[in-house]
Amino acid sequence: MMAAPVESVCKPSAERSPFSATSFQKKSRSKLISIPGTRPSVQNGQLLVSTGVTSLDFLLGGGLAVGTVLLIEEDRYDSYSRMILKYFLAEGVVCRHELFVAAAQDNPDDILQELPAPILDDVAIHKPAEQPRLPCETHDSLDSMMIAWRYQNLPKVQSALASSSRFGHYYDVSKTMEPEIRQAAKCHRFYLPEHPTESSTTRSPVLKSYSALLRSLQEVIHREGFDVAASMSKSRNILRIGLHSLGSALWDDDLSCHDNPTHRHSLTAFLYGLRALLRSSLSVAVVTVPSHLIQDRALMGSITRLCDNAIALESFKGSERETNPLYKDFHGLLHVRQVPHLNCLANQLPDHKDLAFKLKRKQFSIERLHLPPDLSETVSRVSRGELAGGATVASACGSGTSGNKHLDF
Amino acid sequence: MLPELLQGVDAGGLLIIQDSAGCSGRHLLKSFINAALNREEAVHVIGFEVSEEELRDGSQGSPTQRLHFHNAFSDPLGWTDHPAFTVHQFNLEELTHLVKQTSHPKAATTLVIDSLSWILRHVSPSAVCKTLQQLKKGGAVRATIGLLHADMHQRGTVGSICHLATSVITVAPGAKGDEAVAKITKRSKSGKVIQEEEIFNIKEDLTVMVQSKASHTGPKQPGPEEQETDPTANLTFNLRLSDTEREAKEKLALPFVFSKAKKTALLHLGPGSGRILYEPDANDDYDQEDPDDDLDV
Repeated sequence: MMAAPVESVCKPSAERSPFSATSFQKKSRSKLISIPGTRPSVQNGQLLVSTGVTSLDFLLGGGLAVGTVLLIEEDRYDSYSRMILKYFLAEGVVCRHELFVAAAQDNPDDILQELPAPILDDVAIHKPAEQPRLPCETHDSLDSMMIAWRYQNLPKVQSALASSSRFGHYYDVSKTMEPEIRQAAKCHRFYLPEHPTESSTTRSPVLKSYSALLRSLQEVIHREGFDVAASMSKSRNILRIGLHSLGSALWDDDLSCHDNPTHRHSLTAFLYGLRALLRSSLSVAVVTVPSHLIQDRALMGSITRLCDNAIALESFKGSERETNPLYKDFHGLLHVRQVPHLNCLANQLPDHKDLAFKLKRKQFSIERLHLPPDLSETVSRVSRGELAGGATVASACGSGTSGNKHLDF
Repeated sequence: MLPELLQGVDAGGLLIIQDSAGCSGRHLLKSFINAALNREEAVHVIGFEVSEEELRDGSQGSPTQRLHFHNAFSDPLGWTDHPAFTVHQFNLEELTHLVKQTSHPKAATTLVIDSLSWILRHVSPSAVCKTLQQLKKGGAVRATIGLLHADMHQRGTVGSICHLATSVITVAPGAKGDEAVAKITKRSKSGKVIQEEEIFNIKEDLTVMVQSKASHTGPKQPGPEEQETDPTANLTFNLRLSDTEREAKEKLALPFVFSKAKKTALLHLGPGSGRILYEPDANDDYDQEDPDDDLDV
């Protein structure tokens, strides 16, 4: 189910993004509207927005489809999930979308003040050359391989993921966004402690906090004209919704406190309502949930299924994996739990399931976790399953079942 | 890191001391109270679990007019007509009122809760979390220290409370009798997380002596690199190279090293430079099977 396409003439965007290379406007007969900061998906024609992290866009099939929800299962100390939420909101500011931020723990204004600064004059980073280099450039590098020079131009293991277009932007994490840039974007805030609690006698499956949030969202969408069915008199824009730490105790929910929560279906009912709201409007939502506190795995599965895209972040900080030399280049593991199939039969899952992330200053990179070649002497003697970290490799090799069956000539 | 935490929990901080039946955290809590008193701060203790005498037991000689004990021990649930402090008074308004009543307006106040577990048995965890968050944000108290018995609650509850905390100290019994192991997790304002493990013991006057950093008991490789000996030593023939020999070796032209022009030509020729075109004629026995298939391996 996608956001219903609007029947309108394709309007050229009034202001071009600084990255368009030509002034060529494709004369398309598609009924999709053109909004700055979006592009149609090459797979199924959905309108996509960037999450702010180019590697994550690649994993999700090019970007986040308008009208869908991305669920991020928080890492233990909520550092990286919060970072991705900030990237998402910063991307909205740069693309001139409208923002809606809801939180119960921190004031949304504090979150908005921490947005990373965009690198506006930086060109997208080119990947190591897969195409042959020009002869004038190779003089220095040919000497680097004396004996194996025939392999000079073959790519090294292509570990970083990126799509080739300049759809997303890059951000410098060490600086915060200039207040002028941030104030240019329209932000709607929902801070639960400051929200008046209405006492209603009607019994609903949703907690008061969630129903207040849903009502606030509905009101903003309707008032600002994000409904798909709204009139076409003014130019359309996307609403980016960031919901921080739903399901935590500060939202009055005991999902993360008790093994058998009393408000068991509250968050799931909220997500159902949220998705219905998003499908009929031009908005995108990113929801973070502290899944490490939720003990009921079946409930976590329902929550995942009610969101369209779902990823989980597992940070190495504080776990025994921190000292594992296998993981020394990364900050944590990223698990893709779910990728949606919108208006098509099957979805595009990422090729590689072992993904790890690293937060660098100018990029949040998500890479394939690959083992370096093991050059120690014991490699040929010991069966695969006994190597340190062999668990990640054994499933790929398929030889983990019967351990000692190795050829010995 | 324990001494730094003792010297002053940062303003707006929430420190949780997690203990279990095996090792009590109350002594550490008393050390923290003592340290706060020595820093000329006002300390408000809400005691649910132990009586005032027992809590003041260790701190002799310290100025006690800055230590305000709120008696929640005798009647915490309000069964009598005039309870001193009940569990249901654990919310922001009542606590602020309590603190302002007995405290100097200019002194920094530390609120100590002994223990949070008691409150969690009678009040919902989300309400407790809300109050703790409000205490963190509001200006009534400078810092809050709470004792939590981790084995009394479900994992989610303990996790939710610790998720809010700026620092968590988990005490566990140590190897020797009077020692304990403290696992400390501290979150700084910038979002950085520091973790440490220390062995400490508490002396008679409630000062904390940190013995050492606990050694990691994880599996350690015995360091096979150190045991490798140099294979070129102790031989009857010479396997090493002198400098001149090394230079000569590097100058030697290898047989298939081409000139740069030829290399680039070969590299950029692309596909189709050499293909093997083979058409099997009638006499050839072109067997599609892999001859290795009958090996029984």
